[in-house]
Amino acid sequence: GAGGLAQWVLVELQGEVEPRQSSGLAGSLLGDLHYTCEGVPVLIVGHHILYGKVVQLEKPFAVLVKRGAGEPGPAGPHTHYTVTALIKTKLLFKTRPKPIITNVPKKV
Amino acid sequence: SLVVRGEKDEQAVLCSKDKTYDMKIADTSNMLLFIPGCKTPEQLNADQASCDIIHSQIAGFSNNYWELRRCRPKLKKLRKLLMEDPYEGPDSRKDQTSTFSKYTTEDLLSLIQASEEEILHQLQVIDACKIEGYWRILEFDYEMKLLNHVTQLIDSESWSLSKVPLRTCLEELGSLEPTEMIEHILLSYGRKYIDDGEVYFEMHEDKICRAIAQMLLQNAVKFNLSEFQEVWQQSVPEGMTARLDQLKGLALVDKNSRPETIFLLKVEDLPEDNQERFNSLFSIREKWTEVDITPYIQDLCAEKQTVGALLTKYARSSMQNGVRVYNSRRPIS
Repeated sequence: GAGGLAQWVLVELQGEVEPRQSSGLAGSLLGDLHYTCEGVPVLIVGHHILYGKVVQLEKPFAVLVKRGAGEPGPAGPHTHYTVTALIKTKLLFKTRPKPIITNVPKKV
Repeated sequence: SLVVRGEKDEQAVLCSKDKTYDMKIADTSNMLLFIPGCKTPEQLNADQASCDIIHSQIAGFSNNYWELRRCRPKLKKLRKLLMEDPYEGPDSRKDQTSTFSKYTTEDLLSLIQASEEEILHQLQVIDACKIEGYWRILEFDYEMKLLNHVTQLIDSESWSLSKVPLRTCLEELGSLEPTEMIEHILLSYGRKYIDDGEVYFEMHEDKICRAIAQMLLQNAVKFNLSEFQEVWQQSVPEGMTARLDQLKGLALVDKNSRPETIFLLKVEDLPEDNQERFNSLFSIREKWTEVDITPYIQDLCAEKQTVGALLTKYARSSMQNGVRVYNSRRPIS
């Protein structure tokens, strides 16, 4: 049963996420996730803002971790997978990201 | 834990301890990020207290995932592997040679696309036994020899077919065959129970009659039905009744030939894939009644699928002399 299994959340983005620096994605900050009072997820990535929705997955995902004899690479005879977490909810962002333009007050 | 099983030329399956799933990789153009501990709006609402920033790490991302669909375990290969070297008895010189073509449980787990429980269950269904650590199927003639020892003993001792004592069998037959083999044949053809501290077997009349029929039928392409039925009834142990319905999935009666004939057709010799199975059946006989074809397609039914659903999908039906018959949807060469 699922007793004791962690529950993760999936975030689904259209297109690709690119690192600002060339150093790659690992360790970088993706952005900020907020929820409005109505529970609408809002993602701010760089200077873009994306609106999404919370979706309960009809078919939940299981996150598998590969385990077994030794190193990563081609599967050995004892390779197996254990379920490390379940994902029942996803935050789907499929609207076009809008650039956030800060308001420049006019000179009076 | 879960295991992927399959050889290079097979389509991969994923197995849990007791189930088998077809695997497909699904691609998406979207990016999927998985975040442990990320909270949903409901969870945050419930947790009124904090307005603090929660730092969450994205554990990883992907643009593909595995899609699983529960499927029938692919067990035909199991019989095929064990038939490479059937056990012919202790006197056979064959066994003293190599261990090539002999399989341990570990070997089978890495070669058969099924879960461990499904494999172990099938080994029991096909009456395999472990000899010196290897799973073996008995060669048919040797199996019949063992069965014959037992049925002759039952006859000479005038035992009831439902109360065959293990101990006496081992004592009387132990000089003729290994005791493990005597016990194995009793387990294969009987139901074990204990009465008053002693082990007895209730013999399976249907299974014994069926085995004897196979022994008779395998020696010719086909038989005159009424002659066969006579010889068959004379060959089964005293007190048993040979009936044609015992032969489902083993033999087929041709009611259209004059005289009527019967021939051996074993479901386990037919293809495992649904379409191939139907092609094979329709090339043996053009039109089938549901009663005749059912034993040869029953094992194809997925969980909660009926024979009727299979027939609707893979066959076309029509009426012939007031009886519904099924034939192929496509021309069979």
